[in-house]
Amino acid sequence: MSNKSKPNTGPPIIGVSKDMQRVRELIEHVADTGLNIVVFGESGVGKEVVAQNLYQQSPRSGKPFIKINCAALPEGLLESELFGYERGAFTGAEQKKKGKFQLAHSGVLLLDEIGDMSLPLQAKLLHVLQSGGEFSPLGSEKEVKSDTWVIAATNHDLKKDIDEGKFREDLYYRLNIIKIHVSPLRGRPEDIPPLIDFYIKEYTAMLQNRHIEKPSVKVIDQLCAYSWPGNVRELQNILKRILVLGDSSEVMNELFESERGTSNNKVTASIQGHHASLDGLLDLDGKNSPDNESFSLKNAKQEAVEMVEREIISHVLAKTDWNRSKASKILKISYKTLLYKISDLKIVPPQK
Amino acid sequence: MKKPFKLLIIDDAEEILIALENFFKNLNYEVTAASTGLDGLKQIEDESACFDLIITDLVLPNISGVAIISIAKQKFPDTPVIAITGWGEHPESLAKEAKADFVLEKPFKLPELEQLVENLLNK
Ligand SMILES: Nc1ncnc2c1ncn2[C@@H]1O[C@H](COP(=O)(O)OP(=O)(O)OP(=O)(O)O)[C@@H](O)[C@H]1O
Ligand SMILES: [Mg+2]
Repeated sequence: MSNKSKPNTGPPIIGVSKDMQRVRELIEHVADTGLNIVVFGESGVGKEVVAQNLYQQSPRSGKPFIKINCAALPEGLLESELFGYERGAFTGAEQKKKGKFQLAHSGVLLLDEIGDMSLPLQAKLLHVLQSGGEFSPLGSEKEVKSDTWVIAATNHDLKKDIDEGKFREDLYYRLNIIKIHVSPLRGRPEDIPPLIDFYIKEYTAMLQNRHIEKPSVKVIDQLCAYSWPGNVRELQNILKRILVLGDSSEVMNELFESERGTSNNKVTASIQGHHASLDGLLDLDGKNSPDNESFSLKNAKQEAVEMVEREIISHVLAKTDWNRSKASKILKISYKTLLYKISDLKIVPPQK
Repeated sequence: MKKPFKLLIIDDAEEILIALENFFKNLNYEVTAASTGLDGLKQIEDESACFDLIITDLVLPNISGVAIISIAKQKFPDTPVIAITGWGEHPESLAKEAKADFVLEKPFKLPELEQLVENLLNK
């Protein structure tokens, strides 16, 4: 394969699975449309690679490609990063600054982790998209217009976020004119051997062709059977470690131990969660001590939310004699979300 | 005999797609059916196809009906496009923005759609 004959098609998207073929085919057909696109997929599956391919196969290739991570910045900062500001717009705004929208003019703006954008900013983004790219920087009266192709990426189930009131439905439809779903690596193990080949070649080149031993067939088989919660990025890291250590057994043991570990942890966490009470959660000198490995504000919050949800949903289900369609209306969530929550929160119907 | 009109119909619900296809075939239209947005797009891109009218569902996986309308109208501004949509679905306004000639809400009666197609073709 030579890259010379096909310049500017973007970083290679390796994979022989049906899913990856479909992704490459979609990119080919939609890259020149300039229509808004959302790329869905778990962390590390290659959403950004897809976005770069869209860009490089589009007529905007060579123009700016600007990326912003909506999860990494607090709301106010994200807003000023996106839309820019005038001098004196707020304390500390000593210089006027262009926003990413404007910097991406005539090119592409990748809104990474769009599912984490706050509702007020979603409203502002919607407005910009509706007006064909018009907005005013913070502290400015004047509208700026930019011709920016917006591609968004997320690992959230945005439909679920909509049901839960965290994502605007109108923004969802406006962004989601084209949807590209990148499936998790565990669902397409046939892509693992070609990915390994590709990265071994790449790392060999990086190490100035110092001879690198390819993992044995047995190791490759094991790697194909692993669940890859961190997807391709995790595969890269594991390969690097195997290559650096020159021996795979240790890395492989750790890998499968960690897998057993996480699945065990999940079970214990959910059993605990099942019986968890607010008292238990707030028992900071005992059960939920900050010294525990599993302690974090995020975990505690999640457990508290689940506890409350479980109570309320159980209550409404009991009231409606487990008529789930009625219950979903009372709870003001979709029927699908309710079913999902019942199984997720392990709510069981009363024994008759 | 005069040449039959060529229709492209895109819907991911199989029973609807088959029903529409049979309905228009019986009326002597030449019908191409596509069950995904990508399939539909490939048909539109096929230079030899030259459809007289396109009917597309709005909510489709991957390439939505709104995308189909935008792309079709860009390539063939004079080819009429009818969007069909479930009641109250948001994309209706997007379909109009993309310059769909008509947005028809489900459920509709087949003769209603036929009338609409005829009107748009005879314009
Ligand atoms: N199909 C693929 N072929 C080659 N490299 C890939 C492929 N998929 C992912 N990668 C590589 O894996 C790494 C992670 O991919 P990327 O950053 O695109 O993931 P992501 O989905 O954006 O992840 P996150 O949700 O964490 O942002 C990158 O180094 C990328 O080049
Ligand atoms: Mg990413």
